Amino acid sequence: MSEITTEQAIGFICAISHQLTAHRDELNQLDSALGDSDHGTSISTAFEVAVKTITSIDHPTLDDVWKTTATVLLNRMGGASGALFGTFFLKGVRFTKDKKSLFKADMDEILQAGLEGVKQRGKSDVGDKTMIDALQPAVKAFITSDNLSDGWQQAALAARYGAESTTGLVAKHGRAKFIGERAIGHQDAGATTIALIIEGIRDYWEEQTNGKT
Amino acid sequence: MSVRKQKLINQPENILNEMLAGFSAAYSDIIQLTDNQLIIRTQPKQQGKVGLVIGNGSGHEPAMIGLIGEGLFDVNVAGEIFTAPGPDRIVEGIKAADRGAGVLLCVSHHAGDLMNAEMALDLCQAEGIDNVEMAVLYDDISSAPKGRETERRGTAGLFFVWKMLGAYAETSGDLAATKAIAEKIRDNTRTLAMALTSCASPITGEVMFEMPEDEMEIGMGVHGEMGMGRQKIVTADETIDLMLPPIIEDLPFVAGDEVLVMLNNSGSMTLMELFILYRRVAQRLEEIGINVYKSWIGPYATTQEMAGFALSLCRVDDQLKVLWDAPANGAYLKQL
Repeated sequence: MSEITTEQAIGFICAISHQLTAHRDELNQLDSALGDSDHGTSISTAFEVAVKTITSIDHPTLDDVWKTTATVLLNRMGGASGALFGTFFLKGVRFTKDKKSLFKADMDEILQAGLEGVKQRGKSDVGDKTMIDALQPAVKAFITSDNLSDGWQQAALAARYGAESTTGLVAKHGRAKFIGERAIGHQDAGATTIALIIEGIRDYWEEQTNGKT
Repeated sequence: MSVRKQKLINQPENILNEMLAGFSAAYSDIIQLTDNQLIIRTQPKQQGKVGLVIGNGSGHEPAMIGLIGEGLFDVNVAGEIFTAPGPDRIVEGIKAADRGAGVLLCVSHHAGDLMNAEMALDLCQAEGIDNVEMAVLYDDISSAPKGRETERRGTAGLFFVWKMLGAYAETSGDLAATKAIAEKIRDNTRTLAMALTSCASPITGEVMFEMPEDEMEIGMGVHGEMGMGRQKIVTADETIDLMLPPIIEDLPFVAGDEVLVMLNNSGSMTLMELFILYRRVAQRLEEIGINVYKSWIGPYATTQEMAGFALSLCRVDDQLKVLWDAPANGAYLKQL
């Protein structure tokens, strides 16, 4: 498949929601080592609300999917996570405007803009033990892939590898920063969330592709 | 020390709404809960004076809901537990605080609070709401070394900012001067905190960090972030002897200075313990020649049932002393 329909974009958000709900306790556990132990609960709840809100819209457009997800994350979730994950979707809105479907080139732009937005909002970069450690390699892997299927597969691998790399790092941002060297040995919850999200999309996309052939 | 995991709540997802409903029912003479979940003053400040608004995560009561009222803040945007409110809600708070002379958005420096405040200011700009300024406030000396003060986080010592800034804005129509006062108080305030026990997240019921029974930790955040230094528990006097010198050296506070002192109860310390601790603080300050103008001991910014306290000092001059003594009427801070 060479394009993502609106229905499939909604499928992405549903897949993310299922994935994060299934891994809620694992994310809470990671957050308790470095933060305040509720990351899994708050982000899975936010995506459940996003799914409900999108599916309650009559004939939602691609624009609705991105905008609604951004708004729910920013305002229902709140905190640093809400601001960062919300910014990611918010930055994609200008590329979904008036589109009926997304080609890989559109998705490249959406991911790149989202990445830049998150880096700017969080003033963070690779190596700071944040979601960027998973997101940046994933976006790069996606963009350098030839098609959507390869893109999601390569992005998922890169994100998982990036998330695992945070275990050896000292944090430079957020609450984890204040525990210094003791952060070493713990994987970052935000980076893990990115890996889970992209793995969720990859699995959904594989099902869609297999269903179509 | 084992942690009490059970809390008397209903559904975890209703904590914020039910807490605000109960608080506003109890103190309706001082504050009101609006339809959009803002805590505002029952007696609004005069027109033409600078509005004060702050957004913050909940779970730290009485901060900040208890500091809304006359001579204090105008609006509090309470977020979910330990989670800063999102930008749309902060913008609503800014609008509610506007009395025609601009609004100062105060931020207790934490990553989430700052990001959401910045996004709220962007939204204000996009909506054409100018005359909004942001003051980023911090006090915890354990969160970044001297010389990198702007990286420090906001903790219990900001109590001094809230009280004196509130008094200033009650009569000032000058937004820039109001922001300058907030920063002046911040730059004269230093805090160091300690904890004996952890606490449980009200959302998940899980212990927020592990703490061996015979240890204590110096340098705690208000969210129970693990601090910088763990050691065996020592006596009250020895604890103050460990904590006071780094605070004094950081500003530095010197002989002849006049200071406000606060011992903030992080949750489940007894007043008995806090008075014993304060006795040592007063002794040591007297030895150094630092004069205590006024003190405040009690729970202001808590982290659930954590056992621990924060020690804060604020250097005051004549202007700040007048502001400290000015009347205030919040549900949890009163000055006659």
